[in-house]
Amino acid sequence: MPRYSLVVNATPRLVDASPDMPLLWVLRDLLGLTGAKYGCGIGVCGACTVREGATTLRSCQLTIGEAAGRSFVTIEGLESAGGSAIQRAWLDADVAHCGYCQPGMLLEASALLESRTPPDDAAIEQALDAHLCRCGSYPRIRLALKRAIELRRAGKP
Amino acid sequence: MTTTRRAFLRAGSALVAGLVLELGLDGRLRRASEALAAETAGSDGFRPFAVLAIEPGGRTRITVGRVEMGQGVRTSLPLIVAEELDADWSQIEVDTASPGPDFPRMTTSGSWSVGGSFEPLRRMGARARAMLIAAAAARWGVEASTCRTESGRVIHSPSKREWKYGDLALDAARQPVPADAPLKSAAEHRLIGRRTPRFDGRAIVTGAARYGMDVRVPGMKFAALERCPVAGARLKSLDDQAARRVPGVRGVVRVSNGVAVVADHTWAALEGRRALVLKWEGGDEPRFDSAEYQARLIEASNGRGSVGRDVGNVETALASATRRLDSVYEYPFFVHAPLEPMNTVAHVHDRRCELWASTQAPNWVQEAVAKQLGLSPQVVEVHVPLLGGGFGRRLGVDYALEAVEVSKAVAAPVQVMWTREDDTRHGFFQPAAAHRMAAGLDAGGQVVAWWHREASSAQNYRGKMDPANPDLAAIHMWGGVDNPYAFAAMRAEFVLVEAPIPLGPWRSVFAPSNVMARECFVDEIAAATKQDPVKLRLALLASPSGDEAVQAERKRLAAVIQLAAEKSGWGGALPPGRGRGIAAHVYDGETTLAQVAEVSVESGAVRVHRFVCAIDCGPVVNPLGLEAVVESGVVWGLSQTLGGRITFKDGRAEQSSYADYPILRLSETPAIETWFIEGAKQPLGAGEQPVSPVAAAVLNAIFAATGKRVRRVPIGDGA
Repeated sequence: MPRYSLVVNATPRLVDASPDMPLLWVLRDLLGLTGAKYGCGIGVCGACTVREGATTLRSCQLTIGEAAGRSFVTIEGLESAGGSAIQRAWLDADVAHCGYCQPGMLLEASALLESRTPPDDAAIEQALDAHLCRCGSYPRIRLALKRAIELRRAGKP
Repeated sequence: MTTTRRAFLRAGSALVAGLVLELGLDGRLRRASEALAAETAGSDGFRPFAVLAIEPGGRTRITVGRVEMGQGVRTSLPLIVAEELDADWSQIEVDTASPGPDFPRMTTSGSWSVGGSFEPLRRMGARARAMLIAAAAARWGVEASTCRTESGRVIHSPSKREWKYGDLALDAARQPVPADAPLKSAAEHRLIGRRTPRFDGRAIVTGAARYGMDVRVPGMKFAALERCPVAGARLKSLDDQAARRVPGVRGVVRVSNGVAVVADHTWAALEGRRALVLKWEGGDEPRFDSAEYQARLIEASNGRGSVGRDVGNVETALASATRRLDSVYEYPFFVHAPLEPMNTVAHVHDRRCELWASTQAPNWVQEAVAKQLGLSPQVVEVHVPLLGGGFGRRLGVDYALEAVEVSKAVAAPVQVMWTREDDTRHGFFQPAAAHRMAAGLDAGGQVVAWWHREASSAQNYRGKMDPANPDLAAIHMWGGVDNPYAFAAMRAEFVLVEAPIPLGPWRSVFAPSNVMARECFVDEIAAATKQDPVKLRLALLASPSGDEAVQAERKRLAAVIQLAAEKSGWGGALPPGRGRGIAAHVYDGETTLAQVAEVSVESGAVRVHRFVCAIDCGPVVNPLGLEAVVESGVVWGLSQTLGGRITFKDGRAEQSSYADYPILRLSETPAIETWFIEGAKQPLGAGEQPVSPVAAAVLNAIFAATGKRVRRVPIGDGA
């Protein structure tokens, strides 16, 4: 079985896996990082979202063969990767209900916050619209993101 | 947990852990040490619901006998105890119990958690506080009445001395448990009524929260199961050569419901499953077809059924009415589709079984697994991680039993994970229904007759209901039988038309279907008689008929209708193409709620812009939590109104994932406002309730915006 190297949450990792194994299962079952969630396996729900730099991707849609040599941030590493402001905003707005979809939401939101121009309502909707939440945390996601954007504009971390 | 182990832990907590109190479902409170003695002596009928443990180091742990699925019980229930305990909330830790003799009734459904336990939990906190005060007073040699408490400390005001609860825990454990202790007045509350964020918030935003899917135990395997595709079919042949060659696959086992591929990790299990070559034969005939079934429901709604409510003579009243209105409303099949698909880790070994299951019914899982394995429930240990959504689906025990079977076959701990497709196709579907509505009006436009006949099927998670059950209508026609409006003649009737697929209640149980038909039909009467829908509802609630309880219920319903109307600007101007719709409901005779939707329709596309909810569920423990469940219920109801439905063809569900069974998205979510009245004396449920009026509020708003009456959900292209 081929061996691949990748960086997850700033830590180099080596895994032995079939080339077509999605990153989601590499994270969850081989590396013990269960923060990325399985929700649909076809890239529709967004629960498995991880970050690569300032962009996000669906870890269920990226094979380990494609992911090799690259560097990712999962929910477990979000705080160390500069995500504490969005996490704070999430807690202040009490966004989560059951919480299962929230890792994907948070990684998407954190990437949005890092975009060069502060996102407006339309940009928020566009980015988060491809993330599903069955509990209905959407109104609070809007609140939390707006608050985080305001804080950032005001120069607070 | 085995009796021995449980007794050991109990002995440990009784001797070492300080003040440990167990609260019974009946309100009895006792020390863990007494519990241990009682258990050794044999059962004394004590049925715990919650445990409070204050350790000498100050750690205060509250164990709740309800499961957390996003509705907030791991926050709201401990808050109630902490309030009367006068605890420091930041020091509180929360555990979820495991079922068994310790926790005999953990089933979490029906929105009963807060309402059913408010008083006992308060009294638990108050009595523990009294024991801490007594311990401090004894140490100081002062009267207990000269001591007070604040944020986890007992303070002797005259001498300005104080002890932290942790420092008193061992002494307090030796104090007698008082029969009662004074409760705070509402004005003295520091936690109840305050906006407290979710207890698990930090764990969720850091990825530390563990759901059933995230359970990992040493040596565990991962399994995917190819299930029988249609009811009654049998496996004719199995070729697993290719599946066994998939790297990481450790075995292929036949189980009662299909074929499981067991592997070192999930991906190998899924790949192995894909490589199976299976042939099925037989299957129940005729194969279920939902289009045909729904036509049958409409037809059946003409026939006689089980009468759940009969006032006056509805037939005579209709026959003599000046004018008659008739409508049929249609409700489809839905599937719960929680984000976390069904899954369980099971480990059968040495004539015992350990399970980790995201379940709403831990005791049912325990009982069913014990029965399946021929073991005593005592040796079936069920751990309940967080649930990635429940909504009723996790009252089923099917997915736990599968995991047990696979674990037994391979003699290892195994996680059976359902894919999204499995979850969508093998649900316990919300039953489809047809509602035949008839109203008689007199010359003055007064409603003289109301006849609501629902045709649907009747089953829940524990099986089909007896068609001869005289209470069939009462059990099934939530929102029809308990119609809050007063009519001189009315009938609510349920016609049973069985469907050969697994069915079960979902959020708001069976109310959404009936309330949609009822609240839309009230709107139709308003339109036909040129009355304002709010005023008509208030007039129908103003009747002096009914006993005191009915009158009180109607008053509480009228109050939330007025509040929702006021806050939504009911009657005020709107931009062209927009309309407002109202719907209201008394849920299960308790919580009252009214909702106003503001909707626009452009080129057939319905958009909900604003949603105003007024609710009376009594004293609110946590307003932030209440707003969350109201928003959640509205989003659920909007998914049901604007999203997908499940259809069956040739015995199978035609949909398979969120791609063809859409649920509401952020861009479709309106601004949602929650307003509450604390009219009821005791806290009542709020987790499911907000779902029931949503569809009708939207459909009524569509009518207000367009003049077009839509009589089904989801509306699809019907607007």
